[in-house]
Amino acid sequence: MSSRRTFLGDIAMGLPAIALHQLTAATRAPHFPAKAKRVLQIMCPGACSHIDTFDYKPELEKRHGQPMPGAEKEVSFQGANGNLMRSPWPFVPRGQSGKRITAMLPHLGALADEMAFLHAMTTRTNTHGPGCVMMNTGYVFEGFPSAGAWVSYALGSENDNLPAYVSIPDIRGIPPAGPANWTAGFLPAEHQGVSFNASEPIRNLERPGLISEAEERATLEFLDVLNRGHMARHPGHSDLQARIAAYALAGRMQLSAPEVSDLTRESKATHELYGTADSNPLKAAYAKNCLLARRLLERNVRYVQLYCASRASGVDGLLNWDAHKTLQADYERHCPILDQPTAGLLKDLKSRGMLSDTLVIWTTEFGRMPTHQEGTLGRDHNPDAFTVWMAGAGVKGGTSHGGTDDFGRRAVEDITTVHAFWATVLHLIGLDYNKLSWYHNGIDRRLTDVHGHVIREILA
Amino acid sequence: MLLLLLSTLLAEDSIETAATRILEKNCLQCHGAQSKMGGLILESREAALKGGVGGPALVPGNAAQSLLARKVNEGKMPVGTPLPAADRQLIARWIDQGAPWTNKLAVAERKRAGKDWWSLQPLKPPPNASIDSVLNAALTAKGLRMSAEADRRTLIRRATFDLTGLPPTPEAVAAFVADPASNAYEKLIDELLASPGYGERWGRHWMDVIRFGESHGYEQNHLRPNAWHFRDYIIRSFNDGKPFDRFLQEHLAADVLSADPKEAVGTGFLVAGPHDTVGNAAEAPKRQQRADDLDDMINATASAFLGLTVSCARCHDHKFDPILQADYYRMAAIFGGVIHAERELATPAGLAAHRARTAPLETEIREITEKLAAARETAKPRVESRREAILAQYRAAPESRLTEESWPAAPARFVRLRIQATSTGGATSLEEFEVWSGGRNVALASDGARITATSVRKEDGSTDPYSEKHLIDGRFDQRWIPADSKPVTLTVELPRAIEVTRAAWSRDRAGGFQGRFSGPIPSEYIVEISLDGSAWRQVASSEGRLPVTDAQREELVLMAVFSEREKQTYREAQQRLAAARRALNELPKLTMAYAGKFEQPTEPVYLLKRGNVMDRGDVAAAASLTTLDRVLPAFDVPANEPESKRRLALAQWITDPKNPLTPRVLANRVWHYHFGRGIVGTPSDFGFSGERPSHPELLDHLAARLLAHGWRLKPLHKEIMLSKAYRQSSANNEAAAKADGEARLLWRFPPQRLEAEAIRDTILAVSGTLDRTMGGPGFHLFRYTVDNVATYYPLETFGPETYRRAVYQQAARSVRSEMLGQYDCPDSSLPEPKRVVTTSPLQALALLNNSFLLDQSAFFAGRLEREAGDPVRRAFQLAFSRDPEPAEQTAARNLIARHGLKAFARAILNANELIYVQ
Repeated sequence: MSSRRTFLGDIAMGLPAIALHQLTAATRAPHFPAKAKRVLQIMCPGACSHIDTFDYKPELEKRHGQPMPGAEKEVSFQGANGNLMRSPWPFVPRGQSGKRITAMLPHLGALADEMAFLHAMTTRTNTHGPGCVMMNTGYVFEGFPSAGAWVSYALGSENDNLPAYVSIPDIRGIPPAGPANWTAGFLPAEHQGVSFNASEPIRNLERPGLISEAEERATLEFLDVLNRGHMARHPGHSDLQARIAAYALAGRMQLSAPEVSDLTRESKATHELYGTADSNPLKAAYAKNCLLARRLLERNVRYVQLYCASRASGVDGLLNWDAHKTLQADYERHCPILDQPTAGLLKDLKSRGMLSDTLVIWTTEFGRMPTHQEGTLGRDHNPDAFTVWMAGAGVKGGTSHGGTDDFGRRAVEDITTVHAFWATVLHLIGLDYNKLSWYHNGIDRRLTDVHGHVIREILA
Repeated sequence: MLLLLLSTLLAEDSIETAATRILEKNCLQCHGAQSKMGGLILESREAALKGGVGGPALVPGNAAQSLLARKVNEGKMPVGTPLPAADRQLIARWIDQGAPWTNKLAVAERKRAGKDWWSLQPLKPPPNASIDSVLNAALTAKGLRMSAEADRRTLIRRATFDLTGLPPTPEAVAAFVADPASNAYEKLIDELLASPGYGERWGRHWMDVIRFGESHGYEQNHLRPNAWHFRDYIIRSFNDGKPFDRFLQEHLAADVLSADPKEAVGTGFLVAGPHDTVGNAAEAPKRQQRADDLDDMINATASAFLGLTVSCARCHDHKFDPILQADYYRMAAIFGGVIHAERELATPAGLAAHRARTAPLETEIREITEKLAAARETAKPRVESRREAILAQYRAAPESRLTEESWPAAPARFVRLRIQATSTGGATSLEEFEVWSGGRNVALASDGARITATSVRKEDGSTDPYSEKHLIDGRFDQRWIPADSKPVTLTVELPRAIEVTRAAWSRDRAGGFQGRFSGPIPSEYIVEISLDGSAWRQVASSEGRLPVTDAQREELVLMAVFSEREKQTYREAQQRLAAARRALNELPKLTMAYAGKFEQPTEPVYLLKRGNVMDRGDVAAAASLTTLDRVLPAFDVPANEPESKRRLALAQWITDPKNPLTPRVLANRVWHYHFGRGIVGTPSDFGFSGERPSHPELLDHLAARLLAHGWRLKPLHKEIMLSKAYRQSSANNEAAAKADGEARLLWRFPPQRLEAEAIRDTILAVSGTLDRTMGGPGFHLFRYTVDNVATYYPLETFGPETYRRAVYQQAARSVRSEMLGQYDCPDSSLPEPKRVVTTSPLQALALLNNSFLLDQSAFFAGRLEREAGDPVRRAFQLAFSRDPEPAEQTAARNLIARHGLKAFARAILNANELIYVQ
């Protein structure tokens, strides 16, 4: 790597330290000491079916083909529902805890003892866009800051050369409601997730090909003459320093971002662990994103949001977990993409000792119905029950909290909400969800709105 | 002794003290004499016994029957923060013990606003005041004073950016600096206010405030192609100097206020926000979607016009302001007839002319349709008796699960399916296309077969989900979708020539639809084979197959039973019908605008308990907020009156000269955009949670002046911009900065960074490429694709169609163009009355490396070459309105000598001086 991209960085020389400090949103203290220093959020858009992955329902197998008691022909998002439909795959006991997990996720199943499952999650909408945004921001409406933006705002960055919050979209495209899922909302724009993945670098990062190194250096030196002269004529205006410093930081990012994205620096064994060379190009692409996520976390990026699947398409269940018509075919496509790379990432974090100060959270919009959708072999949306899990720093692995009814139709025991989920995540990184707020249009807004509680049962 | 007494007191806190302390702490904010929510005051035993609208709060000796204990026990009170169990039990015990209560309680510290809140009081403009006199009084009190007047170059730059969002031309600067007239500055302001750039600039401010966006938002987020009419209306209204009371009234009820389409489009405000277009079969979410639409309208109206956070009262009475939950639903009822939709915009004459053109065709269509139905009715007995026999003459219809065609064995290297029509007309899709040789499918990519067909390309990275390759992958999960619904051919090239006998294709082989698939499948087709790929032989076709849909089969039977004459008459009628429909379709359309439709509601709006759409309370009547009932006459509109009367009544109530909020809020917005900060720092919240005004008298002075000017903004701008406060220098003064660092008292003019749009417009203006075309459909900074949901891909290159002012960008919700978004342009998901200003490395990268900036650098360089004189001097004048200093001149010459004008231009466009206004 040549030093050519450091020209911008040279600009910072001689600037008061305070100017750089203002910009990098340098580390801020949490509200209280915590085990987790950073967060990895894995998001499966399209509403991943809880009863076909982590929420084992023996009654559903037994009563396959029978009407759901008390809910015949129930109408949900797309219309009427048929009879109960068992999961196409068996659930097998995994780990010391013997947790039953679908046979479709063998690699993740092997890590059951690391995970704390929340089986009684509920949300406020049965549509994907609002559901995805609700999971990420605590509101069904767009325009509110995402969790990563809140964390960036609260804790700042521990790496001056990379963004504090990175969102890694799937190669298949952006999730439902797109950038609203990593927006800073009304928080300052610096806290928005910077979006890139292993196949698409940060936009505008590279010096344009037509501009030579010498021209770049001379241009920036001249810009510096202009800016310093201007600043000298207008003392007492710290924004001017800040913008000069921003150009310097951009230079550092030009160096750091390609380095972090360079997966060739990883060993063959690591690549094999994730499955980056898999013959399925979608799995290989997700595996590379998983590896990129680890490299970002390793460099102390505060919050990494990693997508497995994308927005809806003209065909339900094709690009994401939205299995309305053909559940079996859809999940036989999606589960292998998720399974080995995600498990590889968790194992890699653990073997590097990073799982002790990294919180991993696995999320989706909502769950799916235990019945098949009338006229199809798929499942409709179910906002009344779904499963998420956490692992890593501060989490009591091998636990399951909350439960659904016999069929997984509704959360019934120790019900948890999206707000409780985020209250717990914030707690694990040392933040009081009640204190973390920003005034906007008449209200001190929070990630947890005016709700939430810390789910202490899953804390280590 | 003292110690003893104290410990006794602590230990023996009586139940009376404990219970009343709980009330004082938790209940009095809302149930004090000031707020008396629900009519209930809990300051004394007598008041509690008297109770509120729900009856007595206390039944001493019987907690179970006491409303107070019940509400507390159910966790309904205090709203949102239920008491701990111990406190609930204590209250119950206290009531059971007779509720002893001697001392009157008082709110210790004010934690909410009542109807006596400052912003709800009538305007009290100070007599004989001016902007400067009020400001100077506050400055003097702190030992501060205003700075000297800024120089003319600074003034013209400040004023031009402020009023138009563009830099002054070097010629304008030179003329103004040299103008000897004593009213040179006043003339400048008049000129700027009269320039079209004023409406583009200040109209954009207003769009922030009212969350104007040009897509639906939510998951699908499709563009609204006809929302721009409302954007043009805003810009036009600002430029025309339309009185703001009229402007606001048009926002709420232009459909009944004006027959002129240029005004009627004003209702675009009501539907300028997001709207969920995803249908929902389940009842609760369906209601929720409607409730959210109404909430958006309430929030937009109350926050933009009144500076009230009425939305906070959706689930319960407002916690900080005197806004009842019932008030929220009164407003909801006002908007009960507003539907998110496009509406025809036409003058009465235009509408009549249009109707005159359409009516004859519509009549013809109706008559032919009736004739056809009559012919079918006549033939009905024949159809019924012969249907079965007729249908039996055909082969089975093509099926979604599997359609097969066989032929006598023949050698082929190529097999193709030419799809000429589909069952429902749309583009078909197929999972698999098989060619059988003996007992084996030989059309498999895994065996070396190759497929050719045009497929729709979906831009999802490299995944190409609807590729033709799925046709021969041996799997039935993913599908091929052709590029469009025109006739299409798919061709399989086999690894070698082989005898083939059969082709088969499917859309739902796995049976996911359980036989009920109703989408398009191939209905008219030909199967052909070839040995060389050029000489083709037909081996099968859809000939003789039944049609796929019931309607098509009925028509088949009908034609079979008709006599030749009947057939001919029927066919002719069908042709005439098609021609009439085509003609109707080809008539010039009325202008459509996304301005909302209005329908008399068939169902009332209900108060929703805790905001829950499934928990309906009383029917809400369309009526004024009680918040202002002390200063403003109330209204309510009976449900049987036309719904437009509700909106009109609200519009008049909001713009009633006695309404103190509307002019205060508006005057404050104007001040906010001039000085970068409002007198009230929270421009859409004048309630308890908002900031208090830094200069209350100034606010009332400005509001009164606005009314005196007949709600016209331009004279108010002029008064503000002619003040000494506005004209003073922005130079720093260390002593003053120590006393008032943010210059809230305005000891200097606060320097400001340009907003995103102004930065982009300025770059275009300086480079000489800015296209000043006003109005009409907006340009795109993204590539737009729809595959159920919309996806927006940021542009990589920017053509001249994007060189218009940013206000003409069709801004999709939640989609921030990178340059605009990095510089804090809001995404119109929520109203944004006050933009944040951030500085980040990503901004620097966007301005250094994005192709837009590189193109503009080249154009700027070209301009400097073209225009006469020293290019360095010219560049400084264009970009900074000044001449270069000697050191700058030298550095610039060096750069240009070594790397050309383009490098120099790129640096100038990145300079701080370009985007910070002094």
